[in-house]
Amino acid sequence: MVEIGVLALRLALIGGLYAILTAIWGAQARRPALVRSSRSAAYVVHALVATSALVLLRALIIRDFSLEYVASYSSSTLSLPYTIAALWGGQAGSLLFWALILTCMSTMVHLQNRERNAALMPYVTATLMTITVFFLALLVFVTGPFERLPVPASEGADLNPLLQNYWMMIHPPSLYLGYVGCSIPFAFAVAALATGRLGDVWIRTTRRWTLFAWFFLTVGNILGARWAYEELGWGGYWAWDPVENAAFMPWLSCTAFLHSVMIQEKKNMLKMWNMVLVLLTFCLTIFGTFLTRSGVVSSVHSFTQSGLGPFFVVFLLTIIVIVVGLVTWRRDLLRGENEIDSFLSREAAFLFNNLLLIGIAFATFWGTIFPVISEAVRGIKITVGPPFFNKVNAPLGLALLFMTGVGPVIAWRRASARNLRRSFIVPLALGFVTGVVIFAAGWRNYYAVVCFSLSSFVLATIFMEFYRGTRARQALMGEPAPRALANLIGKNRRRYGGYVIHVGIVMAFVGVAASSAFRLEEQKTIHKGDTVQVGAFTLTYKDIHFTDVAHYSSMLAEIEVKKNGASVATMFPEKRFYKKQQQPTTEVALRSTLIEDLYLVLGSYDDKSGLMTLIVFVNPLVNWLWIGGMVMVLGTVIVMSPTAAEQRALVAALAVEERGLEAALR
Amino acid sequence: MKDATQSQIEESLTCQCGCGLTVHSCNHVQCPSGIPLKEEIATQLAAGKTQAEVLTYFSTKYGEKILSAPTTTGFNLVAWVTPFAVVAIAATLVVVASRRWRRKGAPAAPVARTEADGERRARLNAELDRFDA
Repeated sequence: MVEIGVLALRLALIGGLYAILTAIWGAQARRPALVRSSRSAAYVVHALVATSALVLLRALIIRDFSLEYVASYSSSTLSLPYTIAALWGGQAGSLLFWALILTCMSTMVHLQNRERNAALMPYVTATLMTITVFFLALLVFVTGPFERLPVPASEGADLNPLLQNYWMMIHPPSLYLGYVGCSIPFAFAVAALATGRLGDVWIRTTRRWTLFAWFFLTVGNILGARWAYEELGWGGYWAWDPVENAAFMPWLSCTAFLHSVMIQEKKNMLKMWNMVLVLLTFCLTIFGTFLTRSGVVSSVHSFTQSGLGPFFVVFLLTIIVIVVGLVTWRRDLLRGENEIDSFLSREAAFLFNNLLLIGIAFATFWGTIFPVISEAVRGIKITVGPPFFNKVNAPLGLALLFMTGVGPVIAWRRASARNLRRSFIVPLALGFVTGVVIFAAGWRNYYAVVCFSLSSFVLATIFMEFYRGTRARQALMGEPAPRALANLIGKNRRRYGGYVIHVGIVMAFVGVAASSAFRLEEQKTIHKGDTVQVGAFTLTYKDIHFTDVAHYSSMLAEIEVKKNGASVATMFPEKRFYKKQQQPTTEVALRSTLIEDLYLVLGSYDDKSGLMTLIVFVNPLVNWLWIGGMVMVLGTVIVMSPTAAEQRALVAALAVEERGLEAALR
Repeated sequence: MKDATQSQIEESLTCQCGCGLTVHSCNHVQCPSGIPLKEEIATQLAAGKTQAEVLTYFSTKYGEKILSAPTTTGFNLVAWVTPFAVVAIAATLVVVASRRWRRKGAPAAPVARTEADGERRARLNAELDRFDA
């Protein structure tokens, strides 16, 4: 069975190379049969990669410990869900999983475009298959998932206990969907550059894919934060770890693209810039993978560390050389009709929005690689940790939050005084009042005060848009308010879905600002019956319980929680000891409300003295970060749901392209 | 509550156990790095040193890599200044470019919007609906 997996990978590699050659040759020589053959080859590669992944999955499930991969990342007592997760829990498996998602998306793209984009598709095939071949080559020549152990192991070493958490079931796949999703717009961008068809078509064809990738990057990042929050037990959710940064940077550049592309669609501006953003986003996904796997910077994600770094560097540099070459070659075709009438215009607002998003991405990139630069220049290793990123990115982030309020409502071309008054006076006043009230209430963290103040400004602009739109429909159509609101959103999903996403962003900002500025924490070593006071909470250590199952042993402290004297909960922070990996993990006890999270960690317990160390965090408003994430998901679903108008626009753009083609052939 | 100076110093130092967190955030059980460092901070403070002196003590003893953020002297300033410098330069470029992109010929009159954009659009959509019905 395992041999089938090995064979499938090798055949897939050959099939991928065949698809690249026939696609390019077919396009250059104008031989449709060859192009069709390349498409079929791409389907076959998908089937082969899927076969190989299934073989590995089967080996994991039947616990075939003769395979090095299975023996390294699972064990006989690992539960089924985590056994499945072991598919992406280790080096070779995660590369195979990546290839699986990529070929799956490649198949979807080919099916979608059987009748469309005939000129672009061969180059799309070639680009996607080139990326696939890179991953397959790593799997075949460097780090095979089907390596046999010299002597079959009687038991596996188990999956890293930190990964044995339900968020880890969906966080990596989600992030991979996002990363790999960025390959599709990239492939179309390369195809557009290669063919010189740099009009509207490639942008409109890939819009949904870009949103898809952005959606999963967003979800992946938030789930990763949630995993860190629940599993690492330090009371926070984001530590600016290099690998977190690696996932954050493509999200930023993808967000910048989704905004600036609107300017291209409306005004045919910024063609070059949009092209650069698509290419950059893809390069950042590969850079992120390189960071995760190379070990050039230390990270909590070092479980996937390996000697693969150099391969990724070479691959990344090759891509950069190719795309810089292509863009330079086509620079004349990338000139848009750039026109800006005034800084008080939506065009200018979007430019500044892009500037800030890319500025944050750059600051993050810079902080991530600065240790390497410092070592090269001064020969001294230094650390660039959370304090750096927080200080540098907080002002940029707040400026971005302000632009979130301005961008969507300021008028195109040149805002009149009337437009500005109508759109901004009330929100600005509300923002100002919010700031003053919070300040007067004695909250003295300036960043947080500014953040809350800006948040209420942004929410007010969004609310006014919904309110005025609904009122207009009510007045004209006589619709009742709920129907008017539903129709308002339904008729213009991109606009109002976008507002919903912005509401989610504001919630996330509020959650992050409050929980970082006003967090309470306490660490105490106590006896049974002792109490700890943190803010309004009184915590009493009642008892400690021990359990032992095959997979791990654990101790649970029983903590009675009173808030302002009233009993509200009994909580059980837990410490587990995973037997196979000989590693302890923290299972925090959480009591989440919309106002605050009470977060308990069992630090340590001493059998002899009966002393237990309890770590307590009170994180105000942190729940709004996760709620904001869900609102963003909702907004993206609204934006992505297809509308007839959008379909018409794509068909129209395709028709223009076809006419141009016919004219060129005549 | 822990002493504020102690917490601030813990935030300024990186735990060396490989967790990538600050000494303050690392909560590994019996962490071989974080716990001794916390104790060392307390000892230093008990000896009457100021925050700055304690940090100097640690960076001399363990090397600069123990600090959780670059210092603000010498080459390390590059770390702090570059992001803002890049944003400032890019902002200047945006301003210069958009000046060049001003509409050629007669300057455009301010767009006399009578209503906010979204509202006009909603009205238009509503009118279209009525037309369809």
